[in-house]
Amino acid sequence: MAFAGGGMNTPSARDTAPGGRFIFFALLSLVLMYFDQRDGWGAKVRYVLQAVAYPIQVTVGSPGRLINATSEMLRTRASLREENEALQTRDRELELRTQRFEALERENEQLRGLAAGSLPPLVTKSVLVDAIQAELTANRQRLVVNKGDSDGLFRSQSVVDGKGLVGQLVRVGPWSAEVMLISDPAASVYVEIVRNGITTVAEGTGDPASLLLPQLPTTADVKEGDLVVTSGLGGVFPAGIPVGEVFEIERDPDELLATVRVRPRANLDRSHRLLALWFDATNPAAPWRPEMLDSLPPASIADPVTREAPASKQAGPSAEPARRKPAPQAGPHPPAARPAEPAPEKPAQAPEPVEPVQ
Amino acid sequence: MILSGTRESRLLVYITALIALVLTLVPMPQLLSLLWPNLLVLTVLYWSTMAPLTGGMLLGFVAGLALDVLGGSQLGQHAFALSLLTYLAIRLHLLTRAKPLFEQSMFVLIALLLYEFTLWAIDGFSGNRTGSWARWVHVPIGAMLWPVVVGILGRLHSPR
Repeated sequence: MAFAGGGMNTPSARDTAPGGRFIFFALLSLVLMYFDQRDGWGAKVRYVLQAVAYPIQVTVGSPGRLINATSEMLRTRASLREENEALQTRDRELELRTQRFEALERENEQLRGLAAGSLPPLVTKSVLVDAIQAELTANRQRLVVNKGDSDGLFRSQSVVDGKGLVGQLVRVGPWSAEVMLISDPAASVYVEIVRNGITTVAEGTGDPASLLLPQLPTTADVKEGDLVVTSGLGGVFPAGIPVGEVFEIERDPDELLATVRVRPRANLDRSHRLLALWFDATNPAAPWRPEMLDSLPPASIADPVTREAPASKQAGPSAEPARRKPAPQAGPHPPAARPAEPAPEKPAQAPEPVEPVQ
Repeated sequence: MILSGTRESRLLVYITALIALVLTLVPMPQLLSLLWPNLLVLTVLYWSTMAPLTGGMLLGFVAGLALDVLGGSQLGQHAFALSLLTYLAIRLHLLTRAKPLFEQSMFVLIALLLYEFTLWAIDGFSGNRTGSWARWVHVPIGAMLWPVVVGILGRLHSPR
């Protein structure tokens, strides 16, 4: 019966000939693909299209939020009171921990030979963002959040939840942005094992409950339960943000490298409320890539690339360690040392800040 | 008379495509998202076969671009694959739309295979991850769902 409907506009064969249009659209697609790969104005086209697509993004994410909102409305008084008590207990615990933390910070300052109070806070600003869409497949682990360029969010910005590192922004539209989770197969994070300071790289596996440390030798000193934090080496993430705990180690005597798995601390597949962070550049733990830093105007989507491309050609890889280690005696870097222009001493990391190359 | 009918159904075509787009992208549990067919591709195939003048090549391209932007894939990837599919569907619409549903499903199976193959090839050429077998699961499911798509969309415009 449906086929009878075909009669409503049966065109002549000449009218339907879509060959010319097909060639036009196919070429257009190829041009788009070419420029999207090279990150030139492809990024700008995407920026505009993302603005157009924003209402659809919100619509797509709305069923999940509707369910959340409904279940929130249906909660009983008792369960709310219970949660309130639990939160208050947690608040007290956290306050105690903060006091302890402040003491440690002062001690750290003294050990570094700095005057008391001269070490600035690492995080200068944070913005609460809500996930409006999630794509958690084996190939892509991404979230779309409800804030973007208009709120000052920028590409490669670190995103955390209450427990640990979540990921970084890879695409920023006007009102929305895409977070690449640390569990994305394309993501890798420079990490450090807190117990002994071994630095390595954590790679996403496409599973939000497990990251891989693929570069540790079988003889490496790793134990189950070891806390893994960001090392700050990639320059994208600050140092010292919890990533997860080691939960599985496979040591095959025939292999050079062990298979070490880390369970992320952050609820990668369940967190809806996340924090996008800004850092104070003068804190030694802050990410050193200039586009990560607070003092610069929020980079528009194409900026990091244009700033980065010439710089990464100039500097050799040997520049990295010197730049990385802040000299304790020198105190905080003067803000003037961070030019907005391409710095000649800028380390040659991968030109793409998204995937730190090991 | 005919013109006004065409204009109305153009709105219908784009509204159904929009709904299909939202339904395609709605986040869902892991297993279900594996089995979830690409409803937008099916809808575009339907309109390209049943009303090739109304949707036309533009519908295929725009739908593909929407998948690229909202799905976060390489810009132009889905647009290319879906343009190709739309072109073939329009070219062959006189052949396919007279066929019984079962045979149409076979055509859809081939079309979806071609679609996924194109995406897969572009992923490979551009150095992206080509993914596991999981990406192919939606192909037979989409083909099986074709009679349902015909049933629903056919009801929307056949009375006219």
